[in-house]
Amino acid sequence: MNPLLSINLIDYLIIGGYVLVTIFVGYALKKYMRTGEDFFLSGRSLPSWITGLAFLSANLGALEVVGMVANSAKYGILTVHFYWIGAIPAMIFLGIFMMPFYYQSKIKSVPEYLKHRFNEPTRALNAVSFAIMTILMSGISMYAMALLFESMLGWSLTSSILLSALVVLLYVFWGGLSSSIYNEVIQFFLIWLGLLPVVYIGLEATGGLEGLAQKVPESFFHAWQTMGSSDTNPLGVDYLGVILGLGFVLSFGYWTTDFLVVQRALASENLQAARRTPILAAFPKALVPVIVVLPGLIAVAVLPEFQAGGEASPDYNSAIIRLFAHYLPNGVLGLAITGLLASFMSGMAGNVTAFNTVWTYDIYGSYIRKNMPDEHYLKVGKYTTVFGVLVSIGAAYIVSSFPNLMDYMQLVFSFFNAPLFATFLLGMFWKRATPWGGFWGLLAGIIAAAVHYFFYRMEYLHYASEMGANFYQAWWAWLTDFVVTIVVSLFTKRKPLEELQGLVYGLASITEERVSFFRRPEVWGSVAIIFTFALNILFW
Amino acid sequence: MEQQKHFFDLKIPLGTLLSAYGAILALYGILGDASLHEKSLGININLIWGIVMLITGGLFLAFHFLRKR
Repeated sequence: MNPLLSINLIDYLIIGGYVLVTIFVGYALKKYMRTGEDFFLSGRSLPSWITGLAFLSANLGALEVVGMVANSAKYGILTVHFYWIGAIPAMIFLGIFMMPFYYQSKIKSVPEYLKHRFNEPTRALNAVSFAIMTILMSGISMYAMALLFESMLGWSLTSSILLSALVVLLYVFWGGLSSSIYNEVIQFFLIWLGLLPVVYIGLEATGGLEGLAQKVPESFFHAWQTMGSSDTNPLGVDYLGVILGLGFVLSFGYWTTDFLVVQRALASENLQAARRTPILAAFPKALVPVIVVLPGLIAVAVLPEFQAGGEASPDYNSAIIRLFAHYLPNGVLGLAITGLLASFMSGMAGNVTAFNTVWTYDIYGSYIRKNMPDEHYLKVGKYTTVFGVLVSIGAAYIVSSFPNLMDYMQLVFSFFNAPLFATFLLGMFWKRATPWGGFWGLLAGIIAAAVHYFFYRMEYLHYASEMGANFYQAWWAWLTDFVVTIVVSLFTKRKPLEELQGLVYGLASITEERVSFFRRPEVWGSVAIIFTFALNILFW
Repeated sequence: MEQQKHFFDLKIPLGTLLSAYGAILALYGILGDASLHEKSLGININLIWGIVMLITGGLFLAFHFLRKR
């Protein structure tokens, strides 16, 4: 198969420059890594604009960009639900209500919060499932990337897997979380600057937003009008499924409890900065559809293979690359490829650093070798990077045939992440939730998700689409966790209140820095909500 | 704000990388073959985008050096 893109020296210069700067940043940070806190938490010293952009970038990985462009080419503007309802509210909620409990309790990881709030088994359950999930995701990212680079440039799977793994390994090994965060900020700008040219030319070609709207099917330009029932819209999900499953359970489960993103906020210099982190990230997040949904729509408008009457089952995942091939001359082409490469690396490094911390502190430091000096854990953390990268390379080769990578990601999330939000919600806002209530609730939620999936596969349960099944599965897992946690809590022994200080709403002695009105998280959070609401109305 | 700065300022590598990219693209847009722009509908996207990136990168560097003084 011929590669879709032909690149020249200038493009290689741009790609190579990026790789060099990435490694340089890691190397330059090496000398600052003196303690475990430096390596795992960036010494809690970063300003919120950095942690905010990293917060977004860690999520803007391989599957995100390629998968969301694919979704947009397939479903149209409905894809914005993954952003405007499936991310923003949860990010604001995290910043305003939950961050004080995470940041002030001085925890190093999300599982550690569960240990203090509930008990050791709850932490173990979460730490182990998170570690497995994270490494799996990292493998999926790598596989997706390698596949893309093969069709794009003709590179072999093995060479692109090894290249990206080596680069990520080097910079995370040297600079830990700081290196990952710094690079994520660079990646943030490269993703935007790399993808915007194709949007710009595409809109010029189709006659702006209005022209574009006329060149795609009518239903492709309305976010809510077709959501009345699962039969009338291409997603195969009704509004209830989107709001409950995606907007509430999946979104809150991911954005408020997934350590991959929360870790970025924990690296902030103070509580106010930590709270502003997800809220500042919400603004660019609300605009990400510009670089993923618009390319998807442009692909449908201009590329015959994605139109009705084109190929029978077009390869949607190639939509973004086909657009590059169609519009971009060498030069900006190299930049666009760099943007994609950057998004792959940011996703992978995010997974590796989160895995590092959870493995080192929540598994190794809690069950294998307790109470060792700080230098010991710093060393373990560094070598865990090597171990983690090796495991994800293995996972990359294992991951194979799933129809749409995005659906698979939703599936993995809904087993582990969906019930988690019920545990955190009750843990943080209901002081009567007991340690064993937390544990059994979480376990029951995960089992409920698995059982639901089994019934769906066995065709005892029917949904209009796989995505619809995932959304409702998340909802039932969440509800099971919520109910079981409450019921078990009513019959088991509570934790003494003094042990819950600072971990639960109403028992906290949260001391906040005073900041001016315009730097308050609540103010920015409200602005973000209004902004997102307006976008929803605009594309109703 | 007299707390110990842990790390170097990110604006330096970020600003340098973006402006270097901007310079490369702009030069390539000016000196490169005009037939290159057939794909991009005759728009000299390399030049335009090179300038955009030069400005973005330049702003980061400017902020860094202004803060320092």
